[in-house]
Amino acid sequence: MSNYVVLSPETHHDTRVLTEPGKTQADVVQFAMTHPLEFRNIQACYPIFFSKSRDTGEFFPLALLGFEKNENLFITQGQWHASYIPMMIERQPFLVGYQQTADENPNPVVSIDINSPKISDNEGQRLFEGNKPTDYMKGIMAKLEALHQGHEHGKGFISALTDNDLLEPFSLDITLNNGTSNQLMGFYTINEHKLLELDGDTLANFNQKGYLQPIYMAVASYARIRDLIDKKNALI
Amino acid sequence: MNHSINRVVVVGGGTAGWLSAGIIAAEHYSSQNDFELYLIESPDIPTIGVGEGTWPSMRSTLKKMGISETDFFRECSASFKQGTQFYNWTYGKGETYSHPFTAPHHFNDKNLAPHWQTIREETPFADAVCPQMPLINNQLAPKDITTPEYAFNVNYGYHLDAGKFAELLRKHCVKQLGVKHISANMTAINSTEEGDIQSIETDSSGTIEGDLFIDCSGTRALLIGEHFKIPTLSKKKYLFNDSALAAQVAYETAEDPIQSCTLSTAQSAGWIWDIGLPTRRGIGHVYSSQYNSEENARAELLAYIKDTAGEKAAEKASIRKITFDPGHREKFWHKNCVAIGMSAGFIEPLEASALVLVELSAAMVAEQLPANRKIMDIVAKRFNEKFSYRWNRIIDFIKLHYILSKRADTAYWVDNCRADSVPESLQELIDIWHYQVPWHRDCYHIDEMFPSASFQYVLYGMDFKTQINPMSRRADREAGMQAQAMFVENSKIAQRLAASMPTNRELINKIYKYGLQKI
Repeated sequence: MSNYVVLSPETHHDTRVLTEPGKTQADVVQFAMTHPLEFRNIQACYPIFFSKSRDTGEFFPLALLGFEKNENLFITQGQWHASYIPMMIERQPFLVGYQQTADENPNPVVSIDINSPKISDNEGQRLFEGNKPTDYMKGIMAKLEALHQGHEHGKGFISALTDNDLLEPFSLDITLNNGTSNQLMGFYTINEHKLLELDGDTLANFNQKGYLQPIYMAVASYARIRDLIDKKNALI
Repeated sequence: MNHSINRVVVVGGGTAGWLSAGIIAAEHYSSQNDFELYLIESPDIPTIGVGEGTWPSMRSTLKKMGISETDFFRECSASFKQGTQFYNWTYGKGETYSHPFTAPHHFNDKNLAPHWQTIREETPFADAVCPQMPLINNQLAPKDITTPEYAFNVNYGYHLDAGKFAELLRKHCVKQLGVKHISANMTAINSTEEGDIQSIETDSSGTIEGDLFIDCSGTRALLIGEHFKIPTLSKKKYLFNDSALAAQVAYETAEDPIQSCTLSTAQSAGWIWDIGLPTRRGIGHVYSSQYNSEENARAELLAYIKDTAGEKAAEKASIRKITFDPGHREKFWHKNCVAIGMSAGFIEPLEASALVLVELSAAMVAEQLPANRKIMDIVAKRFNEKFSYRWNRIIDFIKLHYILSKRADTAYWVDNCRADSVPESLQELIDIWHYQVPWHRDCYHIDEMFPSASFQYVLYGMDFKTQINPMSRRADREAGMQAQAMFVENSKIAQRLAASMPTNRELINKIYKYGLQKI
């Protein structure tokens, strides 16, 4: 179970983080959440699909990493083999939490998951030198900021997709070289038929808001499914 | 006599009027044709607002009309209805049984009822065969926030605020379905030489002409009753209840659980309904004035409210009285006029048949809207046959609950079992079911009101004994083994559902906050 606490130089001056992707169990996940501002990088390595939050039912985009729960086909022998690592993986074990303040607006604060397997006492990157964040920590904070902006932009993107019925359920039957079959279910994809029917005004609006390019990047990213199947076949 | 039918006029704007308008307009309204639908609603007459429970059919009705389920929950104080739970109906000694909306496990191809007879002492019928029961018993929802609009994990209909529902339908009909809303009082009816209704005079909107008129004017039945004088067939000899006392009761706290079913608790000469909306409970006592005084009925209702909601709630309850003559019109479609809703008939709400009859009537008008006046009489004849049949099936099914009761504490319960108070069609079924369990063969029509699953739930919920030995035939022995495996499977599915579904209140609050997805 994750346990996020507010990050502070006083409490966490000796804390270190294992930064190599794939080194710990924390990265062995079937998918990583993403956002449209990251699609350009994601689509170069991973297929982009959509799923629903268990908690709110709202859609979010994701980079698919495996065909089963707790399967990440990009990790072999503790190493993540890909030219780009999703930001949601890299930001671990940190996130931006919100602290209740006296006035109306909750205060954003960086929090750390003290139960994360990425945390170590004797190896990995330090977070603070004295009271000052290290370069690593500064990089994390920049990523968290970029993630925040990406997810805000992503909310409008998702509304644009659902309002125009541009998502559809998707299931894929995969037969591996040894004859066993896997079914990928519960994900959603861009409805290309509906996409082709969009009128000029909607397209112009999408383009202006920065939604059009990521839609086509998501469509193009399906070809990456082949990479995942190849990786899975290589394991059997 | 050969003109085409393009203009439909609905008279009356309660739930029946707007629901009928929506169903018919959703089928026919288009910029490509000449179809027009007018709805005349009196600004002076308040709607009655009974019928706060629906069948699962309401999901597809709303979906077809293009209403978002999220909007429906947000605007109609709607909650999930997964069936009915009955208290004190069999012996009057605190016992309970359920009639859930989900059919028994594997019902399409396997009849578990005979096999349940061997375990009837250990497990109630509904619990043995229906995976929905733990959800019902724990006020859990039939789906979760990731389940799309109108889809379900287990079957459900709704409880709703009838006044708010009519309002949502009105907005949707006018904005999306091209329905022309006329707020005026009807002052006169003009007839053609053949006796059809030609037009309706109003006090403030002139003359409204039409090809087909739908009478949704409620118990006043302005067209079918006052104008055409089609008589009502009383069904009081079968169904004794003719009065109701209705109250709205506040929850004690905003977090009180919302029940998954309509609760029906038998009384000395009637029964009390208890419907949980997110905002309040609707509680009422429907009884027979011949067997119960209003004073005593009121006392029984207040005692129920006190028991279930506390003394304060009982003190605060404002109670409204409704009387009705249980029965229906001799015919519903006469010349160019169709009665839908309470103008067509009304009986006690034991199986929430009011709204479903509106849905079915309007759907048949919509589907079979006669192309011209010439064939209308044929459609009318078929409509009348179908709905007379349906009313009789509803009456049979409601009466079944009374004749299975073993209560003998009042004359009401005793007289309900008198042979002359039981429709012949129902008595025949009972005679058969003493030796065979209800099954698909017992339903004559493809669109039967109550499937044999419903009969099973009521019969075996109320301790009815069918004299069979499921292991007596050779072919049945293997089936018996299969059935035992299905009981086990059902119980596993039930446990899994109960572990994963949110409470009704949690899910409804999430729908308010996030909405349900369309896919």
